Amino acid sequence: MKRIYVGLIVSALLVGCGQTNEKEQGDGAKKLTVGVTMLSMQNEFIVKVSDEIDKKAQELGVELITVDAERSALKQIEQVESFIAQKVDVIIMNPCEVEASSPAVTKALAAKIPIINVNSATSAKPTAFVGSDDVESGRIAMKFIAEKLGGKGNVFMMHGFMGQAAQIQREQGAREILKQYPNLKLVAHQTGEWDRAKSMSLMENWIQSYGKDINAVFAQNDEMGMGAVNALTAAGMKDKVIVVSIDAIPDALQAVKKGTLDATVFQNAEQQGAKAIETAVKIAKGQAYEKEVLIPFQLVTKENVGTFMK
Amino acid sequence: MNKYVTQFKGIGQYGIFMAFVVVCLLLSFTTSKFLTVSNWTIIITQVSINALLAFGVTFVIITGGIDLSLGSIMAVTGVAAASLAHPDTYPVIVPLVIGLLAGVAMGALNGLVITKSKVPPFIVTLGMMTIGRGLALILSKGRPVSNLSDSFNFIGGGNVAGIPFPIIVLIISFIVCSVVLKKTILGRYIYAVGGNEQAAKASGIRVNKVKMAVYTICGGLAALAGILLTSRITTGQPNAGVGFELDAIAAAIIGGTSTSGGTGTMTGTLIGALLIGVISNGLDLLNVTSYYQQVVMGAIIIGAVVLDSWNQKTT
Repeated sequence: MKRIYVGLIVSALLVGCGQTNEKEQGDGAKKLTVGVTMLSMQNEFIVKVSDEIDKKAQELGVELITVDAERSALKQIEQVESFIAQKVDVIIMNPCEVEASSPAVTKALAAKIPIINVNSATSAKPTAFVGSDDVESGRIAMKFIAEKLGGKGNVFMMHGFMGQAAQIQREQGAREILKQYPNLKLVAHQTGEWDRAKSMSLMENWIQSYGKDINAVFAQNDEMGMGAVNALTAAGMKDKVIVVSIDAIPDALQAVKKGTLDATVFQNAEQQGAKAIETAVKIAKGQAYEKEVLIPFQLVTKENVGTFMK
Repeated sequence: MNKYVTQFKGIGQYGIFMAFVVVCLLLSFTTSKFLTVSNWTIIITQVSINALLAFGVTFVIITGGIDLSLGSIMAVTGVAAASLAHPDTYPVIVPLVIGLLAGVAMGALNGLVITKSKVPPFIVTLGMMTIGRGLALILSKGRPVSNLSDSFNFIGGGNVAGIPFPIIVLIISFIVCSVVLKKTILGRYIYAVGGNEQAAKASGIRVNKVKMAVYTICGGLAALAGILLTSRITTGQPNAGVGFELDAIAAAIIGGTSTSGGTGTMTGTLIGALLIGVISNGLDLLNVTSYYQQVVMGAIIIGAVVLDSWNQKTT
């Protein structure tokens, strides 16, 4: 029995080797292989980034191995280890965590395989980074509120999961703007855990507590922004309170169009995916590349929402 | 002296109720916004989803079981119902019935595997938790299902005579569940199975049928909760309800349902759910920082149960 297994494995390996040989001969040049590990394929935004990587890879004739880390940094490190064992040409990683995913970067670099971080950062420095600066999105959102309120009023902030990179950076950006407007008061801030139902309850409780004193709400993602909009609409207060959130998910774009959500901030998933794979090919071919590709955020309001809807 | 002891015994049975009253009193002294009709309307609306889940899991825990798949059942139900609830497609009864059936079927499947295989409920429902999450993602292709009809959104967001609809659902469910547990033969069998399964079997109770019934009921209530949630947030989300089972189990246990089976009441569970809701509402009203909220919430939960167990000992 054991012998059969060994036989199977050996023949599988032989077949595998045979294929790569054929490819090398057939194409003249070796086809590039890129290993991709994504944070979570349950997240709409991440799925968009991954789809774009797929699309662009086909255009460029790159072979992809895409895996889902299911939000586990440990799993992600194992996936990168297996990419190293498979000797892929470049690794693209969408890190699960700033610190915990760092060993993956170190391991890839030690094995002399270039690694690109897409969408979020690790503390270990990769070969290149493609993404957006989350601090900027917080600034854009809070700036919109400041301008709408004429620099004066009571602001409420809904955090994501406390301690996550996006939560920390979006808060940091928002607070930078708040400092510039001394009459803009952050009355209360609380976590809505990125979740629509939780944030709706939180908004309802704030309405009980502060009522007419609420002038604006900044939610660190659209799910929470939509929760706030639901609660304010139910209380008949929506036209008196400004709500801004981040991500530009389809639901939020609809709400901006209807005028229930005042603004959202668009993070360009397509560009992040496309630039990531383009950078990977440049690195593999030894061409010049940018070490940090920053894709700008864009403010979406009722005036320009049409260009973001498909 | 004797009289005093009997009086104390009387109070002892209501340990959780006392803890609830104490928390409410503390909150009404610290913030004037707490004891208002509008705030309580909101608290009870917010509590309704967790309470429905907690009623279901109370049945299960009394038989000595556990159900960890509630949150996933909610997600499957929510996504299934939402995809049938777009405006101008089907009448609102269709998403409701299909959603409920999905939950009932998943609950029944839990019951079937548990009774036929003798695998512990913890494992079976843990498996169902993952299966359900996967099903919800498959059904929705990983994306939230939005654009729901007004009549569907009424379930979680509408009012009847000034009372939010979720509260009405909550009251009806509470009455039905209490009656089933207290006044029916099934209710007596549920206690008997949890009290002593062997004895129950020996006295001719068909234990497997009782277990099938509780997991099916639990699935149905989770489905109802899932529909309420979907309607309240006006989208069906494949990742909705993650971790909700833990809040529901907490509510049941705070309310005096013993994890070793055989004891528990719906009134206790309702108060348990209300206690969790009141604490969360109160901490928001007082603007307690997020970091501290979690610590305070955990401490109050432990405190409530400790108080209850002391009281029970004196009884």
